[in-house]
Amino acid sequence: MLIINCPYCGPRDQSEFSNGGEAHVKRPDGSKEIGDREWGEYVFIRANPKGLFYERWVHTHGCRKWFNCVRDTSTDEILVTYKLDEKKPNLNNFKSVVKTPSGEPEVGSGNFTVEK
Amino acid sequence: MKSINLKENQFIQFHQKISFKFDGVKYFGYKGDTIASALLRNNINLVGRSFKYHRPRGIYTCGIEEPNALVQIISEYSEPNTRATIKKIYEGMEIESQNRWPSLENDFGSINNLFSPIFTAGFYYKTFMGPHKKFWKNLYEPLIRRAAGLGKPPKDFKGISNHIHHNVDVTIIGGGLNGLLAAKSFINSNYDVLLIEFEEQLGGIINNSNKISLIDNKEPKDWLKETIQEIEESKNVKILKNTLVTTYNYINHLIAIEDRFVGYKPIEGKVNSTLHKIRTGHTILCNGHIERFLSFQNNDLPGIMLSSSFEKYMCRYGLAPSKEPVIFSNNSNSNSLVYSLIKAGLKPKAYVDSRSGEEIEPNLFDLIRKNDVPLYTNSQIKGAFGNKKIEKILVEDSSGALNEIKCDCLCLSGGINPDVHLFTQSKGLLDWDEKDLTYKPSKPFQPTITLGSASGQFNFDNLNSDVNEKLKTFKVKKLDVKLELNTNTKYNIEKLWEVSPQKKSLWAKSFIDLQNDVTTKDIRQAITEGFDRIEHLKRYTTNSMGTDQGKISSINALGIVSDLLDKKVNEVGTTIYRPPYAPLSFSAIAGRNCYEFYDPERKSPIHSWHLKNGAIFEDVGQWKRPWYFQINKDESMHDAVQRESINVRENAGILDGSTLGKIEIKGEDALEFMNLIYTNSFTKMKQGSARYALMLGEDGMVKDDGIICKISDQHFIATTTTGGAATVLGCMEEYAQTEWPNLKVFMNSITEQYATFNISGPKTREIMKKAFPNINFSNEEFPFMTFQFHEFNGIPIRILRASFTGELGYEIYIPSNSAPKIWDNIQSVGKEFGLAPYGTEAMHLLRAEKGYIIVGQDTDGSITPIDLGLSWMIGKSKKDFLGKRSLTRSDTIREDRKQLVGIIPSNKADKLEEGQHIILDKEIKSPVPMLGHITSCYYSSTLGHDFALAVIKNGHSMIGTKAYASTSSMSTTGVDIVKPVFYDEDNKRLVS
Repeated sequence: MLIINCPYCGPRDQSEFSNGGEAHVKRPDGSKEIGDREWGEYVFIRANPKGLFYERWVHTHGCRKWFNCVRDTSTDEILVTYKLDEKKPNLNNFKSVVKTPSGEPEVGSGNFTVEK
Repeated sequence: MKSINLKENQFIQFHQKISFKFDGVKYFGYKGDTIASALLRNNINLVGRSFKYHRPRGIYTCGIEEPNALVQIISEYSEPNTRATIKKIYEGMEIESQNRWPSLENDFGSINNLFSPIFTAGFYYKTFMGPHKKFWKNLYEPLIRRAAGLGKPPKDFKGISNHIHHNVDVTIIGGGLNGLLAAKSFINSNYDVLLIEFEEQLGGIINNSNKISLIDNKEPKDWLKETIQEIEESKNVKILKNTLVTTYNYINHLIAIEDRFVGYKPIEGKVNSTLHKIRTGHTILCNGHIERFLSFQNNDLPGIMLSSSFEKYMCRYGLAPSKEPVIFSNNSNSNSLVYSLIKAGLKPKAYVDSRSGEEIEPNLFDLIRKNDVPLYTNSQIKGAFGNKKIEKILVEDSSGALNEIKCDCLCLSGGINPDVHLFTQSKGLLDWDEKDLTYKPSKPFQPTITLGSASGQFNFDNLNSDVNEKLKTFKVKKLDVKLELNTNTKYNIEKLWEVSPQKKSLWAKSFIDLQNDVTTKDIRQAITEGFDRIEHLKRYTTNSMGTDQGKISSINALGIVSDLLDKKVNEVGTTIYRPPYAPLSFSAIAGRNCYEFYDPERKSPIHSWHLKNGAIFEDVGQWKRPWYFQINKDESMHDAVQRESINVRENAGILDGSTLGKIEIKGEDALEFMNLIYTNSFTKMKQGSARYALMLGEDGMVKDDGIICKISDQHFIATTTTGGAATVLGCMEEYAQTEWPNLKVFMNSITEQYATFNISGPKTREIMKKAFPNINFSNEEFPFMTFQFHEFNGIPIRILRASFTGELGYEIYIPSNSAPKIWDNIQSVGKEFGLAPYGTEAMHLLRAEKGYIIVGQDTDGSITPIDLGLSWMIGKSKKDFLGKRSLTRSDTIREDRKQLVGIIPSNKADKLEEGQHIILDKEIKSPVPMLGHITSCYYSSTLGHDFALAVIKNGHSMIGTKAYASTSSMSTTGVDIVKPVFYDEDNKRLVS
């Protein structure tokens, strides 16, 4: 449940957007010979980190523009959105809100609501 | 229990009598009463039977925490499990008690209480095991479901709910003293503030108790009135009443439900609840505290009630449920009840406190002494006894002597807990307070602020500094409110979770969860059996798993467990609190996205003609498409489809193809773009010609197909499948923006702007000539796979010569508004040639006879163009296109991939079915190696037998061989594997 700041339209409800997976994955140039492995990795393999993540979104029920963002996958917070032709921000500029980002205590499972 | 009305009350309108029915008997209450307060006014306290043992149960609380008093509202679609303590009565309301048969007084199920020694935790798991698996489904489960449970499911329920979105800077949850103070400091600041209160009136503790005597030297009620007025008049604070926040999600997203018909019968067809979806910068939790109960023998008897609830009935509802209740407490929170009773001219029958005389507050001591209330310090209640109501209690005093006290009401207080439910939903962390014996919010995870008792501040002395300190991040006014209290100022509690029964008996029950009938004995047993982790224990005993989520008892359970395990409560931990805070109806969540608004229906411009001409519709995506046309009511679908298909083969048919996706692509680099998106090459294609094209995913699998019309190198029109239109446009836009932003190209959906008619059949040319006399339809002037723009009666039209049936065919594209006129014209000129409409089923049959695939039916996302035998469509000389590289991956060039073939039964009279597996052996002997399955199957009148398309392993090289199709009755049908084309293989009819 997010408010997403579309770089073209401004902040809008999440229901207007669709997620497009990892950002900055370059499509290999089709005119060059590449191996099965390299191509297979482009088609099938995406990163899935816990924490800060470059991600693509599209304003489907809005301007229909694609854009990139940095999302904290553990809190779902979108820290910055930027246009496709803008430089990707350095992840060191962002601080995760808590040490263990899901909010669970450092020790134990996410089921604890008590400070250990 | 004899109750009395206290006439001095601002919320109950004693002049306005309301009649309602409970279990068929008519009673009277007053405007403002809840079901519970109205029943108590009528001296009714037996309101339901318990979940497992069918024990008589009464009204235990005066709010949302109620575990017992759940009723079925017959007059509102028989809504079950409604809390009697919050639902307000209205004229003509009909209420029924739950889980009893034949009547509440004489419940057959109470026999369970007799057998209760065996119904301990895990009883069902252990007992209903054998002798056969089927016993559970057919015997045990139906029996248990009948005997145990809450209300009955509602009937014909059609609640209507609206959703409202808010986007604010600050949300204050709870309009009690602290919530009002917080709201007050925000008045006329630069923040958008939402103040949410669950009750009908703001004020919280000011309305519910007599704790506070003066605020800023004013009567609390006067101060309240002024403050509310100030808030209401402010520009930036909005108040939502009758609204309960149920959910606190990530990123400060709250969900709250507003009851729109408090105290009225919901009007049918009107919105009866509003779901508020709130996004907020900061959340200020002022949702107060909840009082705990205490466990002792028979602590569930009707007539036992929480002490603050008793006081709430007095202050808010002008009702003392009893004239002389006994009070049993281990803390100072019940002091104000004593004060309220005496103020109302009543007095407690006895005051029992587990604390010693020194610990009891001096002013309470004075009050009790002055009014000659029997006082038992250092004492405990060993048990309560009576038949369906409390009649006497057994008090063990400081000397260990037992005293029997006759009474009709017992008020309990086991201490108070901050209402941490929302705080923990927000992922905030709790910490156990050894002094106050409760979990308190410690570390917030989000921008969450807790104020007042919700933060664990049970005293009022730091009120101003606490609010000022916690709100200092905001630019708001500083508070300076002076409070004077009627009772003590310091919260004081002594540890007491449970009093053991006087006599050990298998039938002695001290409840820890009233709603789910969990006793302290069950907790002990669970620990003995090894379920000593709190999450396991909860599920094994079902403790705190009722609709009340153990609001008054879950901390007591932790206390008991920590003592049993000899661990600190913090080490035991709590079970996780999950949303919603209180039950939320599905109709509220669904909002308006239900019934006719669940999914939009899309209709072609010719829809009304179809309706008039016997069309039976099928859903294709959101579209309504004619499936087949009935010429009379008796015509079966099979007959209609065969008639329509033969007519196309012999005369001519017309199909409404308006639902096909249409995308216009324009721009300097449109040609290059199209070459990259589709497998085909469009470079050498002539202007004014068309081409069947395939679109792949990057994985090389077929995603969509369609016909591409090339108007020029800078202008194309593509058609897509009906269901794939949005995806194809989305995919084009994605690649245009993300991968090839250097290409100057634009695309737009024109699906709804143009209607499409597909006319095909040997007599089509004659019909077209007559319908459009100004156009030359000869084979030379208008060859196959070309298109022309024309004007007809001033209407711009585009005609494409293409066919999906294998017959001579044309597709006419017409602006939607003019379409019905041209459709009617074609119908009338076509009559003499036998033109008839056909539906999607006949279209499927006709195209399958030609071996044309349908993406999504004959393909499933794992089929490449090569698998379909469509290698000729791949522009091999092109450097790149979507999915090109994947077509040469080791996996896609495997020879034993599933490939498209045709199937006909070896014995022409045999039937085939979609989904049948193709196998090699006649006999089915497991394991059966499966080659693949039938994807499309029809009976063809043209061929005179069944035929099918199938995808089978290594299919292309199996053409000409025999195999078998398995049936659901474990037999097989012999089939011939053939080329996937059954009709006019050399396309003579197509190009004639």
